[in-house]
Amino acid sequence: MDNGGRTPMTGAASPLVLQTVGITPFELSLFVFVLITAVLTALFTDVLASIVIFAAYSLGLSIIYTFYHAPDVGLTEAAIGAGITTVFLLLTIAKTSRPTSDDRFESIDWPAVGICTVFVLVVGSTLSAFPSVGDPGSPILTNTDVTGYYLQTAYDETGAENAVTAVLAAYRGFDTFGEAIVVFAAGVASLLVLGREVFTT
Amino acid sequence: MSTDRDDTDGVARQRPMYTESQVIMTTVKIVVPFVLTYGLFITFHGTGSPGGGFQGGALVASVVLMIAFAFGIESTRQSLANRLVVGLGTIGVLIFGGIALVPLALGGNFLEYTEYYPVLGSTLGLKQYEFVKYGMEAVEIGGIAFIVAGVLMGLFFLLAAGVTPPAADESAGAAPLSEVTATEDDQDD
Repeated sequence: MDNGGRTPMTGAASPLVLQTVGITPFELSLFVFVLITAVLTALFTDVLASIVIFAAYSLGLSIIYTFYHAPDVGLTEAAIGAGITTVFLLLTIAKTSRPTSDDRFESIDWPAVGICTVFVLVVGSTLSAFPSVGDPGSPILTNTDVTGYYLQTAYDETGAENAVTAVLAAYRGFDTFGEAIVVFAAGVASLLVLGREVFTT
Repeated sequence: MSTDRDDTDGVARQRPMYTESQVIMTTVKIVVPFVLTYGLFITFHGTGSPGGGFQGGALVASVVLMIAFAFGIESTRQSLANRLVVGLGTIGVLIFGGIALVPLALGGNFLEYTEYYPVLGSTLGLKQYEFVKYGMEAVEIGGIAFIVAGVLMGLFFLLAAGVTPPAADESAGAAPLSEVTATEDDQDD
């Protein structure tokens, strides 16, 4: 592996480069866990069981993000996906009644499974076009116009050690402003839809 | 988990949603200070370590959620003023918008932190790039974290309305039960 040509780049991205190309047993078990929980979420008749398994799915996903050096995304997935979404879903089903069926699993709708399989195959056919994980020749590491610019200049221009925050709050601050307003609008819209004037009393 | 399945019979469960549990209350009492500290840490160190206002704000909001689960949603609702929840969200928007718009008035671009340098540089004794750093932190802490924490708390109490018995006017939550069971029965076959 020849890294001589791109010293500043590989310096910033060395954790990625050190990652062995290929799949380790740990990654494999995480992927299998996420796959199984995803399928079980759809299969369980009891909505409460589905929600609990969905939380486990989010937790597995957040570990995968963290494992692939995206701790910002992992934190968000753990806090929002596994934590707060689960609570919101639980609150929602608390207002409904459970189905009286005694079956533990839903009966499988084979035409739907067929469509899902076709969809997975279509999406999966693009997989070979992706670079391997940790491939030093992948566009994200060789594209000096965008990624390289942020990694090289973010600290000098913003003083932020976390380049993700530098991009979110400085370079792409306008987008983040829009996102924050969307969150605010979600709160206002919920008040409107539920016909209430106050969140608490 | 499935103890009340037989007696539902298409009618809402009569089991109270809140049961006072020593285990949950003790756990929450121990965990809450650490989660709150971690949430604030993530918020305040967004520029130096993973995380930021969004994740930190969500963690701070989850503290309220945990307390509500352990000590009862209605009692938590009563001790948390609506003014605080709404205030967090709106003040967040005002801070973020204010920090973003002032550079426009100074002749720069939207959210151009360095525009503050000629005005405040000598007063605060900061270098130009430091205005970007502290501007980002102000946006993360005073803007995003406030908005996310406020809105998530608010959504929680909105969704929780009617789950627990009291609050007189909240009996509307039980109305559409017959429709729900009907559609679910349809899916079963």
